[in-house]
Formats: sequence, C-alpha cells, structure tokens
Amino acid sequence: MVLLERTRRRPWPPSLVVGTGLFAVILLVLLVTPWVIPFDPAAQDLDNRLAPADGTHLFGTDHLGRDVLSRLLDGGRFSVSIAATTLAISAVTGTLVGIVCARRGGWLDELVTRMCDVLLAFPEIIVAMFLVAILGTNYLTLILALVITGWTPFARLARGVTLEIEARDFVEAARTLGCGRWFIVFRHILPNALGPLLAHAALRFGHKLITVGALSYLGLGVQPPDADWGSMLAAAQPYLTRDPGLVLYPGLAIFLTALSVTLIGQGINVRRNRRA
Amino acid sequence: MFVLKRVGVLAVTLLVVSFVAFLIPYLTPGDPARKILRARLGDLDVDPAALEALRHEYGLDRPLLSQYWDWLGNAVRGDFGLSYTSRTPVIDMIGSALTITAMLAATALLIAIVVAVPLGSLAAVRHGRPTDTAITTVTQGFVALPEYWLAPVLILVFALHLGALPSAGWAGPASMVLPCLTLALRPMSYFTQVTRASMIDVLAAPHMTAARARGLPFGVAMLRHGIRNALLPVITLFSVWLAGLLGGSVVVEVIFSIPGMGRLMYESVVNNDVPAIQAAIVCLVALAVLITTVTDVVYRLVNPAVRSSHGAA
Repeated sequence: MVLLERTRRRPWPPSLVVGTGLFAVILLVLLVTPWVIPFDPAAQDLDNRLAPADGTHLFGTDHLGRDVLSRLLDGGRFSVSIAATTLAISAVTGTLVGIVCARRGGWLDELVTRMCDVLLAFPEIIVAMFLVAILGTNYLTLILALVITGWTPFARLARGVTLEIEARDFVEAARTLGCGRWFIVFRHILPNALGPLLAHAALRFGHKLITVGALSYLGLGVQPPDADWGSMLAAAQPYLTRDPGLVLYPGLAIFLTALSVTLIGQGINVRRNRRA
Repeated sequence: MFVLKRVGVLAVTLLVVSFVAFLIPYLTPGDPARKILRARLGDLDVDPAALEALRHEYGLDRPLLSQYWDWLGNAVRGDFGLSYTSRTPVIDMIGSALTITAMLAATALLIAIVVAVPLGSLAAVRHGRPTDTAITTVTQGFVALPEYWLAPVLILVFALHLGALPSAGWAGPASMVLPCLTLALRPMSYFTQVTRASMIDVLAAPHMTAARARGLPFGVAMLRHGIRNALLPVITLFSVWLAGLLGGSVVVEVIFSIPGMGRLMYESVVNNDVPAIQAAIVCLVALAVLITTVTDVVYRLVNPAVRSSHGAA
C-alpha cells in the first residue's frame, strides 16, 4: 500500500484541537443524557409557564412549562443522531458510486455526473420538502430525503480523487503485477481517498445539522411529542420578546455543534495541505 | 461543439425532471382524475359523472407516456393548471413569486460579493498574519450559523428593540434589509474563503512578480492582474449560489413572510397543492440548469485556459 500522504507526528492545528475538544464535550453530554437528564422533556407544568432560570430549572421553562434544559439535551440527541446517520449513509453511498463511476467510465459515468448536476442545482431543502410531502413525515422519510441529495458531493469528490490516484505510477505498477480491480480499490485508492473524504464529511456535518433543524423548524422534520433543536426554535418563536432565551439556546446549540465539526474538517484540511 | 453538447444535456435534463414532476399526482396517494379536476376547476366536491367524463376526456386510461406528452405540451405554453388553494393559474403565482425571490437573492449575493472580495483579498495579502486569522476564523464561524436563528435574533434587535426596521413582510426597501442580511451571511463567508484561497495562489504567480518588477505599484498590480484572475472561481460559486437561492431561501422567506418562491413551495407542499409543486419544480430546475449552463459557457469564453483542459477534467 502506498500512501500519498505520510502521517508524520506534527502538532494539530488550533482549529482541529478546538473543534475536537468542543465536539467531544457535546457528544459526551448527549451520550450520558439518559442518566443525567433532570426532568421528563415532555412533562408539562402549565402553572409554571415561561419561567425564568432558577435553581430547579437551570434554563427556565417553555410555553408549556416544560424544562428547557431537559428538552435541549433530549432534542440534541435527535438532531445530532439524524444528521450523523444521513451523513454516514450519504458518504458511503456517494463514495462507492464515485469510485465505480471513475473505474467504469462510459455512459454510467455520464449519467451519474448529470444526475449530480441536477441534484446539486436543486436545493436540498426543497427536495426534502417534496419527498416529505409525498411520503409523509417520519424519521425514515427525513433520512431518505436528506440522503437523496446528500450523496452527490461525495460521489463527485470520490470520482475526482479516484481518477487522480489511478493516474499514479504505483497503481499502474499494481496493475502490472496482476492485482485485481477491487483489490486496487481497497488497497490503494480508498486509503488515499480517505483524507479528502473525511475532511469533506466533517465540513458537511454542520450543513446537515442545520438542514435537519430547518426541516423541523418548518414542521416537516421531527414531529411532536418528540422535539429537536429546530422544532424547539420554531415553537419558541411566538415568545421571542417575552423570553428570548427560548429561541437563543437551541440556536446556540446548533451553532456550537455545527461549528465544532466544521472546525474539525478545516483542521484536517490544514494538516493535509501542510504535508503536501 | 461544447455549447451544442451542453444544450443537449440541458434539454434531456429538463425532459427527465418534467417527467418526474408529471408523475407526482400518480405517486401521491389518491385518484389522479380527482386531483386534475380540482386543479382545473378548483372544485373541492366533484360529482362522479364529471369525474368519469374527465377520465375519458383527458385520457387517463391512455398510456402514461401519451398523457405526459399532453401535459408537457400545456406546460411549454405555460399552462400548469389552477392552484388548489388560490384557484388562479399556477404560472402567474410562480411569476410573481420568482420576481420577488430573484430580487432577494440578487441583493443578498451582491452584498455578499461586495463584502467578500475585499475581505478575502485583504486576508490573502496578510496571509498568515493576525488579520488573516481573524477574517478566516470569523467567516468559518458564520458558516455554522443557522438562518432560522440569525433571523429571529436580527428581528429581536433591529425590529423589536430598536424599532428601526420592519420585522416581516415585503413592502419597500426597508423590509428587504433584514432578510437580505440574513441570506447574505453564508454566501459571504464562502465567497471570502474562496477569494482568499484563489488570491493567495494568484499573488504567488509569476505574472504578479513580473508586474511588480515592471514597476507597477502594488495596488495597480492587484487591480489589473490580481483580482481579475482571482475572481474566476468566485464567479463559478456565484452562479451555483444564485441557482440555489432561487429556491433555497425557504426558511428566510417563511420567517419574514416574504411572498417569494421558497414560501410558495413551502405552502404548496404543506397544502398538497400539486399543480403549484409541479410548476415550481419545472421552473426552478429549468432556471438552475440554465444558469449553470450559461456560466459554464461564459467561463470558457472568459478563460481560454479551461478550453483545452476541460475535456479531461
């Protein structure tokens, strides 16, 4: 196996350190949520509506008297897991499609490239909206809707990287030695394509998280009684003047999570460029 | 030859997309005849006799492809039927919504470019210094900012607390400020990053050294030889964003109650307004593909270097 980018011990760029640290903390908090969550996120307390923050309710309560902190924790699990699932499926599908296209070429390559063009030209959120309209609102539809457009950038990137690596001498050498098509893919192409693909995946995560939130915000994503950060934000909108915190906290949660993973992606890119 | 090929691809793409749009009433649960009758007449309760007559008249028993041909014929003439909800021709709704969204998108992107190009160039000139780090960090942060959070915050500060600007609606320049700013932030960040990256490359290029060696002052060299070359990738990105924003400003339009394309589509999806959805899909894809095709062609005209290498890429 020839790695075009040798891993050397070098200090991580600051963005990678900050991003990884922040994301690790967020992930840890969301993982231990079932054990530390202070209240039932759906439990209403109508006598205690829009209460300010105090010792019992650290972030106050919402318009139905539900504990905001508990809802933030519980909602985060929805937001992050949906975004991560769609991203993982998109990345794997796109990478496979891209590699196959690059290796096969011909009409298949042309067809997929055109499909990518159309799908990229059409905003993700609109495609998702139409699909939700046709298939109804549930988690499977939500994930499917985001994957349908989500695989295209990965396919494009994987195709480009594959073509680039395939032109290298060591692939030619492997072919001359009689290595099979798929052996070359797994042994030579994938390991070298992993860097750019990972960086791209990290950069896409924030985008996915925001899109999931946007769909929920529009009432087409996570449905009540469940709530994610996007639907919390939408529900809090009418109380913007009375209790701005209700709008600010879920938005901040999305922002910080998206930011942390974006920083990771940027950090990976900085490291790769340094080596090059 | 290249132009011909691109136009061919454009036509095929449109055919495929319009076929998908045509299929929507068949994909969603319910009787297509009932839906078409509603689309044509705007009636909610249809009597069975009319339904039967319509099935015959529109040939819903005929093969799907010949039905598609008729639908496409109408669509090309701009007849997508009547909206279920407003009972007016869908194409008129699309027309007015698209005008508003185009204005919104163009203004937002203009703001983005005007801020991003100098900012990105500044970062490139100060490459690696604190100014660069500050600009890069802040624009990277903006990318992670959701519009549905930024918009309420802007409304809270500028509309509700300061009372300086309207919080919603679409009447006059004042009502455009907040939505355009919200919409401009993300493209602005991307444009800045792209300008910076491409400007760093250009600054290191031999022709810049040559220009400076000829005795051109730095500013003149930048304007004449730097920015022009650095702008090429920004132009490509601009067209991608323009195409995307024509339909992609759903969230902003819903928040600010702007009667544009995004809100039209959102409402047609929520109300299951099939003719409006079909027309929106066809018009938007047509526009998006047209914009990208034109950009590709213009790009090759502006930059002869791509002409030879493009075929391989």
